[in-house]
Amino acid sequence: QTAWDMPTPYGDSVFHTQNIMTFADDVRDATDGSVDITVHSAGSLFAHGQIKDSVRRGLAPMGEILMSQLVNENPIFGADSIPFLAASYDDASALWDASREDVAGALAEQGLTLLFSVPWPGQSLYLREAVTDPAQLQGMSFRAYNSATERMAQLLDMVPTQVEAGDIPTAFSTGRISGMITSPSTGVSSQAWDYTSHYIDTQAWLPKNMVFVNSAALAALSEDEQAAIMAAAEAAEARGWDMSAAETAEKIAGLEEGGMTVMQPSDALSAKLAEVGEVMLDEWLAQAGDAGAAMIARYQGE
Amino acid sequence: MDILTLSIILVIVLFGLLLSGLWVGFSLMAVALVAMELTRPGLAGAVFATKVWGSLNIWDLTALPMFIWMGEILFRSRLSSDLFRGLAPFTRRLPGGLLHANILGCALFAAVSGSSAATTATVGRMSLPELKARGYDPQLAIGTLAGAGTFGFLIPPSIILIVYGAATEQSIARLFLAGVLPGLMLAALFAGYVMIWALMNRDRMPAPAPAPSWAERWDAIRALGPTVALIVAVIGSIYAGLASPTEAAVIGVVGALLISGLSGGLDMASAKDSITGAAITTCMIAFILAGASFLTVAMGYTSIPRQLAAWIGDQGYSQFALLAALLVFFIVLGFFLDGISIVVLTTSVILPMVMAAGIDPIWFGVFLVLVVEMSQITPPVGFNLFVLQSITGRGIFQIARMALPFFLILVLATAILSIFPEIALWLPNTMLNR
Amino acid sequence: MLRRVLDRLYATALGAACLAMIAIAGLVFLQIIGRIIDRVLILSGVDPLGLAIPSLSDFGGFLFVAAATLALPATLRAAGHVRVTLALALFGPRVGGVLTVAVLAIALALAGFAAWHSGAQMWDSLSFNTVSFGMVKVPLWIPQAVMTMGFALLALAVLDELLTALRGATPAFRLAEAKRSEGGH
Ligand code: NA
Ligand code: NA
Repeated sequence: QTAWDMPTPYGDSVFHTQNIMTFADDVRDATDGSVDITVHSAGSLFAHGQIKDSVRRGLAPMGEILMSQLVNENPIFGADSIPFLAASYDDASALWDASREDVAGALAEQGLTLLFSVPWPGQSLYLREAVTDPAQLQGMSFRAYNSATERMAQLLDMVPTQVEAGDIPTAFSTGRISGMITSPSTGVSSQAWDYTSHYIDTQAWLPKNMVFVNSAALAALSEDEQAAIMAAAEAAEARGWDMSAAETAEKIAGLEEGGMTVMQPSDALSAKLAEVGEVMLDEWLAQAGDAGAAMIARYQGE
Repeated sequence: MDILTLSIILVIVLFGLLLSGLWVGFSLMAVALVAMELTRPGLAGAVFATKVWGSLNIWDLTALPMFIWMGEILFRSRLSSDLFRGLAPFTRRLPGGLLHANILGCALFAAVSGSSAATTATVGRMSLPELKARGYDPQLAIGTLAGAGTFGFLIPPSIILIVYGAATEQSIARLFLAGVLPGLMLAALFAGYVMIWALMNRDRMPAPAPAPSWAERWDAIRALGPTVALIVAVIGSIYAGLASPTEAAVIGVVGALLISGLSGGLDMASAKDSITGAAITTCMIAFILAGASFLTVAMGYTSIPRQLAAWIGDQGYSQFALLAALLVFFIVLGFFLDGISIVVLTTSVILPMVMAAGIDPIWFGVFLVLVVEMSQITPPVGFNLFVLQSITGRGIFQIARMALPFFLILVLATAILSIFPEIALWLPNTMLNR
Repeated sequence: MLRRVLDRLYATALGAACLAMIAIAGLVFLQIIGRIIDRVLILSGVDPLGLAIPSLSDFGGFLFVAAATLALPATLRAAGHVRVTLALALFGPRVGGVLTVAVLAIALALAGFAAWHSGAQMWDSLSFNTVSFGMVKVPLWIPQAVMTMGFALLALAVLDELLTALRGATPAFRLAEAKRSEGGH
């Protein structure tokens, strides 16, 4: 029997974690318990920042992270975080088809095998006032949690402000920030209505989590066991995308129920956001070189 | 190896090493190393490096050296003695006198700092020498500080509530609000205990000072001025949105340097002493944090805490029996592990059974904080004990005995909270809709 | 001579730890000043400059690692690290001396373990070109090298104390402990 530890970053009630729990059960069933995966959720074994290297170094055979966390290693990991490049499930799926090989290849270089990847619902604006004119955003302190969100804030003439996840409610209630961008899932789980009032449904991009396995650990299993893991991974990817899509509507309703005003972006705001997306796509292409250009061509050709 | 045998081996190793006088940080490392070699042979080294790097390379931890540095500056520049001189006339009639400054100081400081180690270190550095100089019973002075130092976790902001909120998807805003009233209740319980103790042990209290004249009162208020201004600046910078709680620590340092520099109380030599002193205290805490993080991950691999928690879940306890069982479970684990590690390692198993028993997850967060606070002052592994040992030079078992009444008050507080859950839930339910 | 060199080394490491703390204070203070300036500009109707120190949270973490680990040897010698001295007080000085050598030997092994594997992690980051996650890409081997240095210096300081104890002299941390218990609160 092989007992595997699997560190994951998010809590048990997040659909990503639940999907992974089902995946672990599937693997256990398919192998008659010979591969037993223990999911250590919410960073309880290794924190988010350490998971990828822990798996690469064989400290845990398998793990999950947010794909764009690795964008500093390779721009390809940030393709799903360019605003308005793929702002729907169909587009996100097409983008994933176009980028999957590159992502798997970049992981393989580190001795990791990509198993599956599942998107979060689209990223939308959480604000403390109704914003219809992009000029209203000018000078607003906006939460930035990576280089993409910082750049986006700059291009919208906002003041990017670094705020750690646990500090968000305090930062809003003391006025250190007055806007952020995140998924409806995170909005509901952190009860965003406690500190923001308006949800603007931009669904600007669908960032993905990915699950990968240490290739040497995988190779050490029997062929049947490997096949069982691959089959469970394929099922988990399909199931995860469905769960994610179902979450979007459900969680937006949850935000409304919590007392938030849910609104669609005005034409002026949409136009401005699209403009920002263009700039950021160009900047990404400049970094990602030929591989990036080829990937975008594949995506847009489809 | 079954987990019972493994647990016994690890407890023996930990006690053996600690009692032989091996440093706490090294002892935790050694136990973790044994646990790793027995369950996942060969991984220990890389896991150690990964975990220590991950547990120290944390932005929020930067507040720790800053607050400790601020305390060192205040202590060396006589601002802290001014503070006590200023408070003395106003606490003259209060049973327990300036001992309440420990409790009030910790409660105020806890409103800025999310950690109990920082709270204990900063307040203790200032208050313990002053209380000793004024003839207060050291046993009660140290005990009060050990107990009140744990407010750092209960009164928002709170590292432990952030960790719990993130792991369980609970609103951090609600958790913070839920901690406020229990924090005040606990402060009142501690203050009440100090008053009763002082009334019953009049012979061990310093002789009451003669009634101050108006001139002396005025002088006292002026002596209080600078430190009160500093507290207002630190807390105010957070509420004005100018600084995060972590950044506010720097306001404290800059403010303390400014005030003590202007008042001429800090020369170059004591400025240098203040920063080296802060570096040494920070290093002491960080080294134990590093050892504790390695032990935490080793415990994750051995799955001892998970299996123990799951065993409790299998007993089919009713709501109160479950809480009582969890209380015992946390107190026992709290002897050996630091509280945050216990929460991290067991929430996945415990939260579902808590929800199934119909217990409010926000309320349970506050309950958890109380038990984590207990773990800070129980030997052999308790961070407040370590901090106080480094300040006072007394042994941790001796300090733990001084803190025992406050541990019992914490147990009492969990009982009160279980009978009256509204103490935690009223504020979040009233201030936030739904 | 060697004594002077070693003492200078520990003092320099402590000084570097203090500089890391000063750097944290300085950077964060600049960040707060920038925020205040932006606030004032917005209030006076001018576009804010967006003054912010990029990746401050990454740098803060690295500087904390530096402050915490570089102070390790000085903290050991100043008896800053906490331990239980119950057994030492219980038994006589002879047993105390043996115990001191024993815990120093265990500590030396553990500090060596820490330094070696911290170094291995640094080497791994260097060979895989691991970088930080923030907006400024910092190669992680640099702060990890500082951490390795801290643990290596700790191992050296423990060895130093062990040799002192084996020579029959009193190690620095024992002197500091004795001094503190005289003047304790
Ligand atoms: Na606090
Ligand atoms: Na404890």
